[in-house]
Amino acid sequence: MKQKKIYIQAAEQISIQSPLSEQWMEEPVFYDEASLVKAQNPSFRDYMAANEARRMGNIMKRALVTTLKVLGETGIENPDAIITGTSLGSLDYTERFLDSIIENDEQTVSPTYFMQSTHNTVGSALAIYTKTHGYNTTYSHGGTSFDLTLLDAWMQMQLGKISTALVGGHDEMTEQFFGLLQKVGYVDVDGMVPCGEVAMSMMLNTSEAVEHLCELAGLRVCFHPSREKLQQQLTEMLDEADMTLADISAVMTGVNGHSENDRLYHDTVQALFPEKPLLHYKHLFGENYTVSALGLYACAHLLKRNEIPSFLYDSKQHVSSLKSVLFLNQTREGNVSMIILKKA
Amino acid sequence: MEPIYITGAGVVSAIGRGKEETLTSLLAGKTGIGKMKYLTSCHNDLPVGEVPFSNEEMAQKLGIADSMFHTRSALMGRLALREALNEAGLKGDALREAHFISATTVGGMDRREAYYELEKTCDHNYAVIATHNCGTCTEMIAEAFGEFASLSTASTACSSATNAIITGANMLRCGLAEIVVVGGTECLTKFHLNGFNALMILDAQQCRPFDRDRAGLNLGEGAAYLVMETEASMKKRGAKPLCVLSGYGNACDAFHQTASSPDGEGAYLAMQEALQLAGMKPEDIQYINAHGTGTPNNDESESHAIQRVFGNHLPPVSSTKSFTGHTTSASGSIEAVFCILALQHQFLPQNINWKNPIEGGIIPVIDQKPQGEIRHILSNAFGFGGNDSSIILSKCEA
Repeated sequence: MKQKKIYIQAAEQISIQSPLSEQWMEEPVFYDEASLVKAQNPSFRDYMAANEARRMGNIMKRALVTTLKVLGETGIENPDAIITGTSLGSLDYTERFLDSIIENDEQTVSPTYFMQSTHNTVGSALAIYTKTHGYNTTYSHGGTSFDLTLLDAWMQMQLGKISTALVGGHDEMTEQFFGLLQKVGYVDVDGMVPCGEVAMSMMLNTSEAVEHLCELAGLRVCFHPSREKLQQQLTEMLDEADMTLADISAVMTGVNGHSENDRLYHDTVQALFPEKPLLHYKHLFGENYTVSALGLYACAHLLKRNEIPSFLYDSKQHVSSLKSVLFLNQTREGNVSMIILKKA
Repeated sequence: MEPIYITGAGVVSAIGRGKEETLTSLLAGKTGIGKMKYLTSCHNDLPVGEVPFSNEEMAQKLGIADSMFHTRSALMGRLALREALNEAGLKGDALREAHFISATTVGGMDRREAYYELEKTCDHNYAVIATHNCGTCTEMIAEAFGEFASLSTASTACSSATNAIITGANMLRCGLAEIVVVGGTECLTKFHLNGFNALMILDAQQCRPFDRDRAGLNLGEGAAYLVMETEASMKKRGAKPLCVLSGYGNACDAFHQTASSPDGEGAYLAMQEALQLAGMKPEDIQYINAHGTGTPNNDESESHAIQRVFGNHLPPVSSTKSFTGHTTSASGSIEAVFCILALQHQFLPQNINWKNPIEGGIIPVIDQKPQGEIRHILSNAFGFGGNDSSIILSKCEA
């Protein structure tokens, strides 16, 4: 099967950087002291009625606003598919519902928080709000939740089933859950980036005619791959995209200053990409399960602007001519994904 | 589409561990719904469909020494997965090439809620348990069987397992995989029992899908997995097919977070799409395994959707939720296994507890004996937020 071309048409974010803009490219905010940073919320009332905003948790409002912005930019009211990635879903409402079960000893519990607590609440709310009846699903697989949304859209585009897809990665963080993550040593380790929050929506389109940020040239998701297996996956993916390793201008990794996490990337880079300039993004966007969505968003905008700000480099070696970026996402549980974005 | 072969299936639910026990219960019309035994809740007067083992008993069956870290969903999942892999003869190198897509929504909530009050002062071990997410559940199930090529977790509430089946089918069709293992697992939790109770959609008696006097659902739990592969892979491995996945559809009702639209638009679109992909007409389907939760809203909306799709060619319809309770994220794969059994043993699963027809509604299956051969079955699973999905399973041509 000849691989179809897929483009990233638009991508918007709400994170610990300035929301709904690429201001982070000129004025990045670094949180040197903090270990937990909440997202910078935009003015939600510019996008929805006050009573609507009141009924939604933060994760949902952010997902909805990034989505509406992307729909506005692309002029696509109803994408063929809405595919959402979230590791913890509506965490805040989940905890509020747990609190109310305990406080009221399972009596007189209000269903409000429960109704928004399932992981697919976000993705289905986007469909309800935009009246989109197409394909709709949600992946919730820790640090690769977002990557799996891209894989799903990519497969259905290759099969000719859909031509547009709204994909996204969304996770919020609460003080209480952060406390647990501290105890297990997942966050707030010496030298590590802060824990952040993630909302990113992106439109994929198979039409070459539309203006776009870049091309999604290929992707692979694997689990505990051996070095040989990973090499084989990379070669296959490059072949299918009609590319060679020489066409990869840089590799963006998810190093975050946590030694257990960073070792995974160093091993892969050394084995597969020893000569490549390296980029990183978690020092800008923080750590959270679906933060790969923000890394990929950043790559897409770098390719569009044809520039890489110096603070994104994680190697002495810089890119001479920017053609494509290989995005690498690895989790401590053993999930690995490789995604190639290419200048269109 | 090219047929996808199902070469292994495993199930555990309130009506039994394994396909044999399950078949016996289905044929005998014997429900697994009863008094709450393993879940701790003050709503213990509500009937539930529990898997008839404690966590310790399941751990023992699986040869796990320390069950503290294992969530109930993961334990049930392993039991079902073991049966599916054994039947398909999937092990070693072939297993390492297989992709695993599991579905859950509550994930590790049974453990988090158990220790929730201690969280602020808890030690490292409890924190490990409390930070389990849906993906951890999948990883925990997978680790017992060696390395899969990739892992994925679908989470669309009550249609999760059906969507795992759909993602797996797409992987096979676009050449990313030759073998996928798909399905879902979900244990009962105080969390969603209280949620459904607060929404006032739990029946205090045994649930009565498609009955005029139905008053809600009973919650259940369980797990089921299917091994699906391409024809080439099946021939290469010398595996025997149980049945064929010949179509599937996914659409969104886009109506309300916890209610279905009156005309069942999402359900209608999902069923239409499944038929279209299978290249079939309504008259080609000999049985519909409905989502049929027993809530006034679902059964009415689903009836309309089915009537819109099937018109004058309405085949026998039943809901098996009065056997198992609503097994939420796992229901799609558990009911897929029921459909496989129905195809293999040529019977129509009854809609037990049904007495009176809904005005203008569907009269479900009362007699197990089919009129003629059952060749194609459509199975529905609908989730919160209107995440509606349907699959079509077909008998293998001899």
